[in-house]
Amino acid sequence: MDKRQPIVTVENVTKTYGKRGEKQTPALKGVSFQVEPGEFVGIMGASGSGKTTLLNILSTLDTPTSGSVRIKGDDVTKLKGNALSDFRAKRIGFIFQDFNLLENLTGRENIALPLALQNVSAKKQAEAVDKIARTLGIEAVLDHYPTELSGGQKQRVAAARALVQQPDILFGDEPTGALDSTAARELLNTMDQLNHDEGVSILLVTHDPFSASYASRILFIKDGQIGSELKHGDKSQEAFYQEILETLGTFQK
Amino acid sequence: MLRKLALGGLKNRFRDYAVLFSGLVIASAVFYMFMALATNTSFLTKNSPVAFTPFIFGFGAVLLAIITLVYIVYANSFLLSMRQRDYAMFMMLGAKGRKIGQLIFLETVTIGILATIGGIVIGMVGTKFVGQWLIHTLHAPATGFTAIWLPAILWTLGFFIVLFVFSAIYNASKLLKTPMMALLHQTQTPNRIKQRKVSFAIQIILGLVLLVVGYYSMANIAVFQLLAIPLALVTIVAGTYFLFNSVFVALISLMKRNKAFAAKQLHTFTLSQLSFRIRDYTRILSVVSILFALALGAITVGLGFTHDIPALANQATVYDVTVTSPNAATQAEVNKLQGVTAKQQYTLKSDANTVYVNQAAIDAHPLEIKANDKGLNAPSIKVTSHNFNKMIKRYPTAFGVFIGNNRGKQMKVADPATFAKLGHTETLTTIKVRDFNQNYDTIQKIVTMQQHQYPRLGQTNSDQKFAFYAVVNGMYSGLAFMGFFLGLAFLAMLASTLMFKILSGANDDQSRYLMLQKIGARPQTLRRSIRQEIGALFLLPGVVGIVHVLFGLQMFKALLSQPYANLLVPFGLFIILYGLYYLATVWIYQSIVINKDLAAKA
Ligand SMILES: Nc1ncnc2c1ncn2[C@@H]1O[C@H](COP(=O)(O)OP(=O)(O)OP(=O)(O)O)[C@@H](O)[C@H]1O
Ligand SMILES: [Mg+2]
Repeated sequence: MDKRQPIVTVENVTKTYGKRGEKQTPALKGVSFQVEPGEFVGIMGASGSGKTTLLNILSTLDTPTSGSVRIKGDDVTKLKGNALSDFRAKRIGFIFQDFNLLENLTGRENIALPLALQNVSAKKQAEAVDKIARTLGIEAVLDHYPTELSGGQKQRVAAARALVQQPDILFGDEPTGALDSTAARELLNTMDQLNHDEGVSILLVTHDPFSASYASRILFIKDGQIGSELKHGDKSQEAFYQEILETLGTFQK
Repeated sequence: MLRKLALGGLKNRFRDYAVLFSGLVIASAVFYMFMALATNTSFLTKNSPVAFTPFIFGFGAVLLAIITLVYIVYANSFLLSMRQRDYAMFMMLGAKGRKIGQLIFLETVTIGILATIGGIVIGMVGTKFVGQWLIHTLHAPATGFTAIWLPAILWTLGFFIVLFVFSAIYNASKLLKTPMMALLHQTQTPNRIKQRKVSFAIQIILGLVLLVVGYYSMANIAVFQLLAIPLALVTIVAGTYFLFNSVFVALISLMKRNKAFAAKQLHTFTLSQLSFRIRDYTRILSVVSILFALALGAITVGLGFTHDIPALANQATVYDVTVTSPNAATQAEVNKLQGVTAKQQYTLKSDANTVYVNQAAIDAHPLEIKANDKGLNAPSIKVTSHNFNKMIKRYPTAFGVFIGNNRGKQMKVADPATFAKLGHTETLTTIKVRDFNQNYDTIQKIVTMQQHQYPRLGQTNSDQKFAFYAVVNGMYSGLAFMGFFLGLAFLAMLASTLMFKILSGANDDQSRYLMLQKIGARPQTLRRSIRQEIGALFLLPGVVGIVHVLFGLQMFKALLSQPYANLLVPFGLFIILYGLYYLATVWIYQSIVINKDLAAKA
């Protein structure tokens, strides 16, 4: 496989809510961009600008009105039925603002779920769970139920579940939104480490400038279109953070 | 403001309220229908030849009341679980406890009264139809029967209002006593299966001992008399609960511990779903298995009674009716008989003390009698000139129906030559039909017309099959009716109890299944998980219920000729109904919890 093949290719994606005859709400008006292997892309924008809509389309939870989305060359907008479910299980990882853990399963069982769905043997499941739990520092709480975990621990468990299948890309929609600043910082550090050490490609939606400063590139979305782009480059995180704040200032006018 | 919130809750959970309300309406309608018949003693005594009938219905009413009580307690806990989060929210918004208490009380009582009134109205309509059917099967004139029956209205209203007032008091105090956080997060609290070996052993032994006591008391109802039924009810309910509480819990943790099994597909999830709500589930499994047993048992016994009616009526007489020298009107009725399978005419002659039958005639066409000292299923005997004298000595009462107006005279066989010289010619016609019940009215007319024609028959014609049949039918049709009626009532309660359980979890499950879909579970895998989870809720109580019925039939050894014969029909029918209900439940549940639109709640 071509090593330089983009992980995600988005071409001219539009999304209009509302059935024919009903009120039409254009949420995305022609979005195009790419995510390269190993990139950490942030998506920022005001409330209602279309971030969640875009992420839902990328992660196959929703379909675009027009345009195409390819993940490692496969057009995800064409997937249907079991192929679609399997694609979700194997090829993409997703972490949500409200964790989306199953509260009737322990941390270990939650993390193993995507593997169980693919009928991986019990032994291999346990190995994979232990490995990812070590990376995310949650070995000690694997046998706890979600109600027995802190917010930060829950989000790590969710991240572990998203990553256990070694997906092509990890999507996050405000994963730090429900966390306090310490837990948020820890989670972001972990994601940064995953990105650098394990080469995991990440696409993160946020409107928190600090979270965004971890990204290697930031896309600003406004009224359903990509307005501008910032690159981390060789700047320090501090300097990048300042630059984001300035861009947001001008961007929101 | 508070009122607005309370009403808002009603709107949001329309589906749950609809199920709760219709369940309560059915319960009160069933109760009214039964009471309309059971409390109308003048109708029952007038229309049933057996004085026993009001007592039978009274007993059924007590059983129905007990089960209705259990059902209302269950429905109430469904209401409570539905509302507790809302009420906790109100309290968090600053509503006063006393005010909330009033609101809960008002809500429970209002729902109860509305449902009861609705149930009574539906019950009246139902009574009209059920009553017609009953009158038809009992062959009773409809005198004294009415669908709108004041005592039944009062009983139903009184019974249900008392129940709902108690439920309301219970709900109010329960909600006010539980800590707010527990109310808000009750459904999210994990339920670790911690089962100590000792308590497991105690529960399983206790459960088995209680069941043995219950089964024993049912089998020996002759010894325990009326005490047997309450004793069996209490011990079997408790025993079932302990058994489920230990075995079900153990079964789940056993399957969970089998790593190779649990690690496949959604097995862990399905097992966790079950163990997560294990306390609820063991309770509901016990309730369902008891309702299952009562419904199936009642229908089986009801059917057993209908089987016994012809068997009992047949034990004394072979012929469905015999006619001697009919006049024109009687002959016209005879010609109206449907499905005649055998009809034979003989000539009788008589003198002052004896009735004669022609030897040639009975050798060609033997008379048939029942060996009426052999009880049920006694063989029938063909009587010819060869065994006539022996048989008439042995079964003198069996020959009365052959001699019509000559009752009191001796019956003898005469050889053709002697016979030809005798006078006083009469005819005897023996008739068999395929279905006695179908010809009931015609046979009744024939019998009474013969009595009018021959005044001497007035007292002695009671050896006709019709007389037996009327008595047996009067008693057993009542019992069969009650069996079917109670069986269907229990089945309806069973169905809505399961529906409560399943719907009360649907809202939480909706978000769980959405999450699973988002992480890539195939819809068909989710469907299988739902089938399995609900399947466990149907299968286990079904199996236990069948065992209960098999032991419970022991109670009817004295009343039914063969309580264990003909089980295939009621069991088969019931299992098919239950299976269909399972499929419907799975379908409804799947359509509630499996989302088509994954992004909607992303
Ligand atoms: N299901 C829907 N039906 C109709 N309109 C919708 C729907 N979902 C989103 N919208 C509209 O689409 C636009 C984009 O919404 P979206 O949720 O993507 O915004 P967002 O950038 O994620 O906002 P936030 O930062 O508040 O989460 C908004 O105008 C919203 O009202
Ligand atoms: Mg959003």
